[in-house]
Amino acid sequence: MAAAALTVDHLTKTFRLHSEKNNSLKMLIAGKKRNRYEEFTALRDVTFDVKEGEVFGVIGENGSGKSTLLKCMAGILQPNAGSVHVSKRMSALLELGAGFHPELSGRDNVFLNAAILGMARREIAGRFDEIVEFSGLESFIDSPVKTYSTGMYVRLAFAVAINVDPQLLIIDEILAVGDVTFQQKCLEKFVDFRNEGRTIVLVTHAMNSVKDMCDRAIWLTHGVVTGEGDPAELVEAYTEMMLGDRNRNEDGSVRRGSGEIQIERVELFVGASETPVKRFRTSDSIRLRLHYRAEKSVPKPVFGFAIEHLGGATVTAPCTRDVGLLPASVSGEGYVEIAMDNVAMLPGTYDLHTSITDFNRQHEYDNLHLALRFDVMTGKPYETGGLVTMRPTWTIQS
Amino acid sequence: MAHRNLLYLLSLKELRTRYKKSILGWAWSLFNPLSQMLIFTVIFIYVFKASAPIGDPSGLKNFPLYFMSGLLPFNFFSITVGVSIGAVQGGAGLIKKVQFPHEHLVFSVVVAQFITLMIELTMLAVAMFIGGNNILPWLPLLFVVLIFLALFSSGVALMLSAANVFYHDINYLWGILSQILFYATPIIYNPATINLRALVLIANYGPTGSFITAIHNIVYDLRVPGTGRLLELAVIGIATFFFGLWVFNRLSPHFAEEM
Repeated sequence: MAAAALTVDHLTKTFRLHSEKNNSLKMLIAGKKRNRYEEFTALRDVTFDVKEGEVFGVIGENGSGKSTLLKCMAGILQPNAGSVHVSKRMSALLELGAGFHPELSGRDNVFLNAAILGMARREIAGRFDEIVEFSGLESFIDSPVKTYSTGMYVRLAFAVAINVDPQLLIIDEILAVGDVTFQQKCLEKFVDFRNEGRTIVLVTHAMNSVKDMCDRAIWLTHGVVTGEGDPAELVEAYTEMMLGDRNRNEDGSVRRGSGEIQIERVELFVGASETPVKRFRTSDSIRLRLHYRAEKSVPKPVFGFAIEHLGGATVTAPCTRDVGLLPASVSGEGYVEIAMDNVAMLPGTYDLHTSITDFNRQHEYDNLHLALRFDVMTGKPYETGGLVTMRPTWTIQS
Repeated sequence: MAHRNLLYLLSLKELRTRYKKSILGWAWSLFNPLSQMLIFTVIFIYVFKASAPIGDPSGLKNFPLYFMSGLLPFNFFSITVGVSIGAVQGGAGLIKKVQFPHEHLVFSVVVAQFITLMIELTMLAVAMFIGGNNILPWLPLLFVVLIFLALFSSGVALMLSAANVFYHDINYLWGILSQILFYATPIIYNPATINLRALVLIANYGPTGSFITAIHNIVYDLRVPGTGRLLELAVIGIATFFFGLWVFNRLSPHFAEEM
């Protein structure tokens, strides 16, 4: 088993919540009577370790103690009890461009920022060109950063941070910076890091990145570790909880929404058959039927389906608004059917999520998560990779 | 040594950004002491009709030179402490987001101010030469005293800037305290001409008074301050520095939480 790159041992962190934050000598002199505060425990007895070369995720809702944990790991906050042990050169990216000075040029700021992140002068000089190239700001590097746009600023900051060459990288949801091209660059760098066997701790809300990238994860709830292990399972559990754990049905589906109109059940048919099934083959023609019941008249409802692969990727998500199918109002019972011919989905297990929303897709009347799970079995054509087939025609010229 | 690099770059930033967006730039660092000199010379000579102290053994009798040789080192001390308090408080964004040795926020101010002092003293040396004092052979000794002054200033700056994170009163308190210290230090007067015994004692033996008296001895009188005096400065400088560093290091792990 690989050695631990980071060990968090029975970490507890409490904050004092002053009713009125007042940093004055008067309070010190006036004595303890006035200095009332409540203790708030942000982290309670948190223990875990991150192995060398592992990509480790930390998930949790707002206020769960993620940021506090991050700051304790980075050495910015001091724990009240327990300890954090880091055995590698660490770089914690909590904020990009912390310490940038607007009047200084990009070049000077690169040197200053890298020094703050703990790099020696020679090291920075050696990596300078790489940093500038990564940021794509070659022609602006000698202008003061106050003339930069927000995007340029962030790009330069990220370029510095990622080039500090850490063996252990702690990231706080900052991968989503810059435009699409730059994001792609960041992602590539991130994957490089992973392939080079560096250790990464990722603290994020972005569930897909946790599922895709992490080897292991923990789940924090109100400062306590409530789950540890396989990221896919944790994310599933987390998502369900976020969607409302009280509405979990016996069949595993999760319901939320205001309820004026409800999804009764969802059925899957193959071909012209009227017998509901739970599997079909690639290139079958299928129909999905959503039965609804409305207590009262609901104006302009939009019915939506989403088919998601078990791995988390959404294959397709059509809704009635996309095709302009807009009944003025719906009441009573009925069903909506969607037919798909010659389905291109490849073998695997898929989940169907359904929803009924208002016209703006903002208000949810009903949302049935995991309404149906079905399997696609081997049909024609068959491909080993991917989720769908484009029914390719091959030619080899020699 | 990544941290020495950080100190170097922070000091450089401190120096480079100080007079950005001003037409006269660095000249401003001279205008302030020069205007003070003008004011106090007028008050001293024309209002109070006092005469300038006579350098022993240099024989120099020039109030502006006497005033400047005291004011410049004192300003170094008082500005270093004041700016350090602001630098740590203003470093909140950094302190809350990055782990780095916080004391460098203070040291970089000390280094930048010390370099400024060197430039100012070079000009004073020229003025002294014109006035009749050749201080060139005295520079090594002056430098030693200034190193002790820098240590003393760093110590006070470390202590107060750390305390200020917890109680912002320190910032305001320093404004008043530095003013009191200015008058309790022999800059605009010659302690030998004063009848108030308490003030003479403070002026001669208070911490800032000790430094300024020694510097007067070297650049105005052109004589070596007593060994006892030099020893005193060494002890004050080194002890204050290490005590300040100790206080700062005890408080700095809690900065991020307080800010």
